Amino acid sequence: MLRTYMRFITLAALASVWSSMALAHFPFVECHQSTVDIVCQGGFSDGSGVAGVTIDLISYDEEIIASKAFDEQSNVHFKPYNGEFYILMDAGPGHTIEVEWHEIK
Amino acid sequence: MSSNSATKKSHSRWFRWRFHLTGLLILIPFSLIPFYIELMSVFGGANGLGERTIGEKQVGPWRITLAEQFERGPKLDGPAGYMKTFNAALCQQCAEQVKAVYMRLGKPRSLRTAGVIGFGSPYHMSFSMPVPENTSVDADVWLTLEGWDGSLHQVQWPLRQASPATIEFLQQQQEL
Repeated sequence: MLRTYMRFITLAALASVWSSMALAHFPFVECHQSTVDIVCQGGFSDGSGVAGVTIDLISYDEEIIASKAFDEQSNVHFKPYNGEFYILMDAGPGHTIEVEWHEIK
Repeated sequence: MSSNSATKKSHSRWFRWRFHLTGLLILIPFSLIPFYIELMSVFGGANGLGERTIGEKQVGPWRITLAEQFERGPKLDGPAGYMKTFNAALCQQCAEQVKAVYMRLGKPRSLRTAGVIGFGSPYHMSFSMPVPENTSVDADVWLTLEGWDGSLHQVQWPLRQASPATIEFLQQQQEL
């Protein structure tokens, strides 16, 4: 009886924690310059990955230079681009994040 | 022998009363009820749009009212960085004409980069907007309204006016 009660309490506590985690769900992306490529890693603030999510390299005159999707490890590689650009992770309307070329080290 | 029996008796009385004292734990949530009700009234809109109303502006054919949910700086949300929550309300006549409202710091390049989307009722939409630590204190909060007819209208508020607490937070971050 006590064990069942304790299980119920534990489940209720976990459900309350998980429910708040489900609410907070913001995308993020970090890019850096590797020896050859620009490598970006994305994710959501709740710890979930972004496999299959679209990520574009766009020049400042709004031309899409490369359009890719994150791999299973939530990584993506872009060939270097000469010129001013930004990288846009697009997980749906209102769920986008930009990284400017000068922020990529 | 008799002292042993007296100790046992006092122990059993203590154990019985210890059980009854646990009933006092129910008073803890009771003491927190006023704070909970106040918090829920902010989330639900019973106490207005937010803790601090910023103002109302005309956006093309529509009107929108903006408020800070809480009068405090952005909150850290793990790897996504600092987030600041605003609430907005559309006018009664325009609620059905507006498909979505987006919010971001700085002028959007395109609809794709219009920022975070407002969710909830048109009379109490909520936005959790990322605030990078290197944001200029002279930045503007841009709202983009997208109509069901495809039209786009934009309006901006200086961040200083929209959230003095965020300006204070940015100044502290940039001093470090």
